[in-house]
Amino acid sequence: MTAIQLEGLGFVYPDGTRALDGVDLSIEPGASVAVIGQNGSGKSTLVRHLNGLLRPTEGRVLHDSEDVAGLRTAALAARVGIVFQNPDRQIFAGRVRDEVAFGPRMLGRGKAEAAAAGAAALEAVGLTDATDANPYDLGYSRRKLLAIASVLAMDTPVVVLDEPTTGQDARGIARVQQVIAQLVADGRTVIAISHDMRFVAESFGRVVVMGSGRVLLDGSPAEVFAESAWPVLASTYLEPTHAARVGARLGLGSTPTEARLVEVLSARG
Amino acid sequence: MLVMAAKARVLGTLFRASLLLTLPIAISVVLVSVFTRAGTTVLFQVGPFDATLEGVDFAAQTLARLFAISASIGLFVLVTEPRAFVFDLERRGVPPRLAFIAVATIEAVPTLIDRATVIGESQRARGLDTEGSLRARLRGLLPMVGPVIIGSLTDVEERSLALESRAFSRPGRRHLLWSMPDTTWERVLRWGLLLGLITLVVLRFTGRV
Amino acid sequence: MLRLAGVGYRYAGYAKPVLSDIDLTLADGEIVGVVGANEAGKSTLCLVASGLAPGSIGGALTGGGFSIDGESMAGKPLHEFSTRVGIGFQNPATQLSGVTGSVFEEVALGPMNLGLHRRDTVERVRAALATLGIEDLAEREPRRLSGGQGQLVVIASLLAMRPSHLVLDEPTAQLDPEGTRLVGEALRALAKTGAALLIAEHKTDLLDGLCSRVVVLDRGRIVADGPTGAVLDDPALVERGVDPPSRVRLARALREARLDPGLVA
Repeated sequence: MTAIQLEGLGFVYPDGTRALDGVDLSIEPGASVAVIGQNGSGKSTLVRHLNGLLRPTEGRVLHDSEDVAGLRTAALAARVGIVFQNPDRQIFAGRVRDEVAFGPRMLGRGKAEAAAAGAAALEAVGLTDATDANPYDLGYSRRKLLAIASVLAMDTPVVVLDEPTTGQDARGIARVQQVIAQLVADGRTVIAISHDMRFVAESFGRVVVMGSGRVLLDGSPAEVFAESAWPVLASTYLEPTHAARVGARLGLGSTPTEARLVEVLSARG
Repeated sequence: MLVMAAKARVLGTLFRASLLLTLPIAISVVLVSVFTRAGTTVLFQVGPFDATLEGVDFAAQTLARLFAISASIGLFVLVTEPRAFVFDLERRGVPPRLAFIAVATIEAVPTLIDRATVIGESQRARGLDTEGSLRARLRGLLPMVGPVIIGSLTDVEERSLALESRAFSRPGRRHLLWSMPDTTWERVLRWGLLLGLITLVVLRFTGRV
Repeated sequence: MLRLAGVGYRYAGYAKPVLSDIDLTLADGEIVGVVGANEAGKSTLCLVASGLAPGSIGGALTGGGFSIDGESMAGKPLHEFSTRVGIGFQNPATQLSGVTGSVFEEVALGPMNLGLHRRDTVERVRAALATLGIEDLAEREPRRLSGGQGQLVVIASLLAMRPSHLVLDEPTAQLDPEGTRLVGEALRALAKTGAALLIAEHKTDLLDGLCSRVVVLDRGRIVADGPTGAVLDDPALVERGVDPPSRVRLARALREARLDPGLVA
């Protein structure tokens, strides 16, 4: 299991743009964290520090209290797997089975072991029937799931998903939610960047709100979507979920999800 | 030309770029000219080879010419705005689509670099080692090629569909909105330089220079 | 009035049609939403409605025919479509030409291609920017715009062609919430001008407040076509792989818990 700590993390791009400013974050193993904020708030820059794709210009990134500065990205990939937003920027194999086996093979697993890991990952995302298909014969939704599977196959203790629901239809989103729930049940850490507030409120135990390279809010969905937090959300151009707004309007306290809203109304009698 | 570069504030970049470009050729030119040019004044000897004054003189001239060529091309690329380039091509009768393609080709390079970078990140996140041995790095190129090509092709397709929607393939002349200010002194300079060039060539041929 | 009558479409090199039996009309001033699962044919329908399929990408168009304002569009050259139907796609980066130094010039590109004189071009650009409320972006560099702003410039560029119909294929798919909001506002402003819009989207919340009619595609066929409220409230929508709008989901969740949906009205 890997705990992640970010201490005073700062990052300035070579052209002088500051993307991260004094970020302090601590993520325990098994947590499910959603990172939200408008484009340019630093979300993508942040997650790229988790596996060494970017190195801090200030501060430190620690895995289990060990500074990862000296470790190569290829080595860190065994602990933190990142699935990026666009599957077409990743998929290169001619067959689905080869694509999912790539990650495990890169991590040094044998052919048979990698194939087994790949098959298990395909089952987790519901793509078993496409095992021998050409990835480009699959639609966009399924290619996105394939990209997720190819990282799941690496069995990393931490899984990061960059906008897993963008461009997905209802079935795709439901499948992603299933995958996340399973990962959490298995005790793995899940971190996701998303613009979909409902998905965030429903599938994650913790929400980190970013704006201008800083952490603006950090708490449970109930805390982050509570009415008192709305001005902060607005400052990074975010809106609370529909359920949260309805709950606030009816004076029911913080109801980030439909389920919670229904629960509160039922209890009220 | 150096004056123009200084005025456009790209003198430093231009110098560095031209130097980098001409360096490989410069080395071989120097080696060959200095040691093999027939001459009478020997400066020093390296084994069976004589370094002559004439050789050094020739090398210096050749280097100067090389530098002038690369620097002038470099200046053009650094200073010209894409749309000014398109405008001028069109003004002189080049079909708009061709002019656009010329510019789009130049602009395609940064896009390609960006795409390769993003693809590289995805593959590295799955353990592809880009910091290891040369052999490992070469092997690592394979998972990059496919996505780069497919991505570029998809890009081209999306772009051409979008352009069609703006009547890009309509034949006929356009009345361009933008005009490039062509000041008097620019025109004088252009003609002056052209005349100067012709004069130099004539003088060269008649043996005066 | 844009009309597809019993139209089917097959991509080049494929035997199976992606669209079958499509009967669709888009009247002046109508805003019609198109929903469906991925691969149901939304994008293909947009390409057909704009003439790019088969005009630019090839393939075979079968069936009754495609007409605009009573005139058949069969066999017409591509640039003739652009003044009648404009089409916008998801990614602003690939739709902006990349050769212009300002938003004003970018929007002017289309009218210039039409061979219009400068005065007319300038007029059209000003009108397009004003309709969408982005006059303040006129001097900005297109490549430095945010995703949402980029999409607005794309729409303005299409408007400058003065098409009678506008087709938008998932205009907010790649945008952050702010970008989505900007585009939503722009579309509402557009609706007020009486434009005819066909919008394919997943975000039914967006369509809920905007469209008068919604069409549901399932495996290449239209399975529903009616007033927004009725179509989006239909329980069958979920089976078609479409997420209903938030208010519908909430009402359903309340009913399932045996609570009165009126509680949240």
